[in-house]
Amino acid sequence: MTGNILILCAAGMLVSAYLMVGQKALFTAIRLYGVQSFLLAVVATTIAISESRPELFVTAALTVVLKVVLIPWFLMRTVDRIGIHREIEPFLNVPASLLVCLGLTVVGYRVSTGFQAGDRDVSHHLIGVALSLLLIGMFLMVTRKKAITQILALLTVENSVFLVAVGVTTGMPFVVELGISFDVILAVLVLGILVGRIVDRFESMDVSRLSKLKG
Amino acid sequence: MIPDPLFTTAWALLHAGGMLAAAPLLKTVIKKMKARLQNRQGPPLLQGYYDLAKLLQKEPVRSETASWVFVAGPRVYFAAAVAATTLVPVLFASAPLEAAGGILLLVGTLALGRFALATAALDTGSPFGGMGASRDMTIAALAEPALMLGLFASALAAGTMNLGVLVRGLVERGPAWHPSDLLAFAGLFVIVIAETGRIPVDNPATHLELTMIHEAMVLEYSGPDLALVEWASAVKELLYLTLLVNLFMPIGIATSVEAGAVLTSLLAWGGKIFVLAVAVTVAESTNAKLRLFRVPELLSVSLGLAFLALAIRFL
Amino acid sequence: MTGWVAIGVPAALTIRLITVAATALLAGRPRPCRWIASGGSALASALSAMVALQVIAAGRSIEGFLFLHGASGIAFGYTVTPLSAWFLIVLGIVAVPVALYSVPYLAHAVAPSRTALAGAGFNVLLGSVEAVFVANEAVAFLCAWEVMTLSTAALVALEHEQRSSRQAAYLYLVMSHVGAGCLLAAFLILGSHAGSLSFPVMFAVTGLSGSLRDTLFVLFLVGFGVKAGLIPFHIWLPEAHPAAPTNVSTLMSAVLITTGIYGLYRFCAFGLGVPDQAWALGLMGLGMLSALLGVLYALAQTDLKRLLAYSTIENSGIIVLGLGAGMMARAHGHSTLASVAVAASLLHVLNHAVFKGLLFLGAGSVVMANGTRNIEHYGGLLRRMPWTGLFFIAGAMAISGLPLLNGFPSEWLTFQALLMGFTSTAGVVRLNFPLAGAALALTTALSAVCFVRAFGITFLALPRSPQAARAHESPLLMLLPQAWLALLCVGLGLFPGVALGALEGVIASLPGLQSAPMTAGPGGMSSGIGSFDAVIPGLLGVAALTAFLATFLATRRGVVRRVSTWACGGTLTPQTEYTATAFSKPLLMIFTSIYRPRREVDALAGASPYFPQEVRYRAEIEPTFERYVYAPLVRLVLRAASGMRVLQAGSLHTYLAYVLVLAVILLMWLGGTP
Repeated sequence: MTGNILILCAAGMLVSAYLMVGQKALFTAIRLYGVQSFLLAVVATTIAISESRPELFVTAALTVVLKVVLIPWFLMRTVDRIGIHREIEPFLNVPASLLVCLGLTVVGYRVSTGFQAGDRDVSHHLIGVALSLLLIGMFLMVTRKKAITQILALLTVENSVFLVAVGVTTGMPFVVELGISFDVILAVLVLGILVGRIVDRFESMDVSRLSKLKG
Repeated sequence: MIPDPLFTTAWALLHAGGMLAAAPLLKTVIKKMKARLQNRQGPPLLQGYYDLAKLLQKEPVRSETASWVFVAGPRVYFAAAVAATTLVPVLFASAPLEAAGGILLLVGTLALGRFALATAALDTGSPFGGMGASRDMTIAALAEPALMLGLFASALAAGTMNLGVLVRGLVERGPAWHPSDLLAFAGLFVIVIAETGRIPVDNPATHLELTMIHEAMVLEYSGPDLALVEWASAVKELLYLTLLVNLFMPIGIATSVEAGAVLTSLLAWGGKIFVLAVAVTVAESTNAKLRLFRVPELLSVSLGLAFLALAIRFL
Repeated sequence: MTGWVAIGVPAALTIRLITVAATALLAGRPRPCRWIASGGSALASALSAMVALQVIAAGRSIEGFLFLHGASGIAFGYTVTPLSAWFLIVLGIVAVPVALYSVPYLAHAVAPSRTALAGAGFNVLLGSVEAVFVANEAVAFLCAWEVMTLSTAALVALEHEQRSSRQAAYLYLVMSHVGAGCLLAAFLILGSHAGSLSFPVMFAVTGLSGSLRDTLFVLFLVGFGVKAGLIPFHIWLPEAHPAAPTNVSTLMSAVLITTGIYGLYRFCAFGLGVPDQAWALGLMGLGMLSALLGVLYALAQTDLKRLLAYSTIENSGIIVLGLGAGMMARAHGHSTLASVAVAASLLHVLNHAVFKGLLFLGAGSVVMANGTRNIEHYGGLLRRMPWTGLFFIAGAMAISGLPLLNGFPSEWLTFQALLMGFTSTAGVVRLNFPLAGAALALTTALSAVCFVRAFGITFLALPRSPQAARAHESPLLMLLPQAWLALLCVGLGLFPGVALGALEGVIASLPGLQSAPMTAGPGGMSSGIGSFDAVIPGLLGVAALTAFLATFLATRRGVVRRVSTWACGGTLTPQTEYTATAFSKPLLMIFTSIYRPRREVDALAGASPYFPQEVRYRAEIEPTFERYVYAPLVRLVLRAASGMRVLQAGSLHTYLAYVLVLAVILLMWLGGTP
């Protein structure tokens, strides 16, 4: 049962990443990130209960507060303020992007069989999903043009790292975890402000326009 | 292989008749719930039957340019839908004609009906018919791979493509609650929305030239011909929802012909179909219709879900 | 074996030779010439098919000699193996009706002065195809192969006044010879290792190195892939099919293509020992690519015969996909699963020949009645040509893989093989099978779109041109062959067990396959051990027919009011109808990265720019393979050729010097080895 919940949540995270690739509205993408983080929190909680590792409750709580509430709220505020609600046409159209993501999932799963921990059924899926998330996040960063989407992609990558840390290893030291969490929030703040500056400067948040900066 | 011809025939007739009788109710229920969500009263629950009765009594009006294909179209569509019902278990954990074939035959039979109707739509020379046929076939073609992959995921998990055997296996082993089921279910739900012409893919209520798909295809039909098309579409929708219900949660389905079991099965089936109808209603009410060229994006998400279901289960 | 079976194949070839001679003698009198050519051809095809049936019934090959010259020791033998027999039966089933069809067709479509050439070419083509199927050693095989290529090229160039015909024939010759060159190289390599050019000896060679086997596989794949019309070797096919007279293009699509398939079977899949997994993957990939791109290109065509030609590429892809799945199973050691996949593939060879033959014959009738191949100029033909329309819709439904017709059983069996392949292989490789399944599903559904369009625009609604309004039904002798093939479409669709039962012997004869019982009576099919499903299409047919009749009777009304179609307040004219281009436009837009469509709209402005007097619309799709694969290749060859021109000095003495130098080099090279 625990295994199924874990796999389900991991799969849900992957689905949220797919959906992020599959649509262009920025608000929806942010909400999807929230859902993804929430599922991560569920994974942490489930493991905390089933393997009686109380420190994971803190991780879960931190995840909920930071990534389900705070970061999405902040990003939505940013989007609202700059008044751009949709991703423009990405470098690769949506069906093609989704096909690429399917391929990346296969790669992720293929690689996950090579890990030591990959023998356990649940870990196999967690690693597979995490690697796929990592690749999809990077892929999103490569193909999308809006800075907000890129931040979301970065956060997705971070979620994937967390998923492996929580689900497969015995957990990171608590200090490291706290540090990472604050790093993340700091990164989001900085990037959020940066987005505002980019919009002010270029009247767009299309990062491909940054290439104009070079002399 | 066929248990007893007489019994099978009787059962098939009863089975198809039951599905035919229940189908208009589903359509009206969805319409009614949608109306309620929009603070309207909505039609009475029997409106679907009234409409069919009215249409069937009317004088048929056909185009001068139309040939026999135009007449055959709705009839083949209807016959294919009715024949398809006999392949799917509904109340019992077996279907009357399950010996005839499984999932692929079911999909093929529905494709046969669609082929006939789309061809017939080209017969009057009206540009609407051509437009509707073109769009309807396009969307159906793009939905096909996701539909197949979603069904493959269930079939591979069960080790069979025969729907009767599949459902009996599920009942015997009990639901596995494997996460891949959920993904496959979500993927197939999107496909069912697309195949039954619901928002966000098509709008069953519109008659605006540029937005209609299925309605444009059948625009030239009237009277009994139209009744057949409407009825068959309703049967198809009920069939798809039943397929979803029985592939993924065949709880309460009757394995014997005792009165109690049948009653439980009937209630369980009705309840589950109702839940799915609510889901369809919510999907219709909370989404806007997609532009035609955005539909492939939706369908590719569904393909992705189905593929993921396979990957999670078998990799 | 009774006597007639033993001499059946040489007798059939003799009949063809006599027919050719008679046709040539009667060249001045077209009418008897047509009858002799067609009659002789039908007789010979029927005879070889009968021999083939005997071989399959007995499950044993028959052997003999076609040509024996005692003094020189030259002997061309033949062997009718069960595999050859299957292809011969397919040939017979299509070639006999096509021969009958040719009698009135040639009278109309071919100038009297060329009747003899067309009739003789038709026979030479069929005879050489038969010889290809039965040849049991490389020289005879290559000779037959070459005659086949040349006769087809002659028939393609029959209307050589037209530039397009000449170009099509030229392209066909070039591509075929690239293929034939690969085959020659492969046979020489294999033959030098075996020490013999006889096929049984060549196949028995063991101990070839891995890279050599790979080379041989690729050479055979290119050689036969060209004939089978696999993408990317397909470019000749959509040019040559429309250029040839329809009876010939029917044969090209239904029979000539199968020689490539036969070669892939005989040499790639079952001639080089147990196949590698990589080969199987390659074949599956090529099959998927051909199937998907074939149907996508078919969708974009407005030339009816080109459309059918692209659809041939698609079906060739489906056949090769099945073969690839079979090789994959064999590479993993699943002999029963391999037999299911191979059965699916071979069954599709038969089914494709039947429905594509039917569709091509129908297209020939339509083209003959309208004088154009452009489907935008047809319309409303169902009224003028009711029988052709009826047969064409049977073919269209069959090719769309709809149940109750014969496209369904083979596609069903292919799906079974793919599913079973998934369960019996391990690792990430297995994901190929569901991917191939998804591709096959998309292909089938797209081909339904394609043929709704082809049938609907051609036969329904109002005539779109004056010729279409004056079209007339074909003569009886052109309708009967179509009726026969349409009947076969339904028959094979309802009783797939019959064909599948005949295939069991063929499969048992192939090395490394273990025939699984796949039939369940004449009407049923299952996929043997580990089966996912079984079908009895007839049972569903009974249900559907009952429902249809009941509906028909229940909704019959005495009086039907006929009114004109509503045309938004205007009058309905052919100009307001949906065109074939418009019908496939959504798919063109969706797959725009594959088609890369280009369009030009010229509006001739009138008094106001909003009411143009005339709008011209031109749309075309980019010929990707021609432009990006072949054009650079051609440039490369031309550049190399102009480089070689340095050697061509024009002086006799220089040429003699070349010979001298070559002789010295050869002597030194050969003389160095003891």
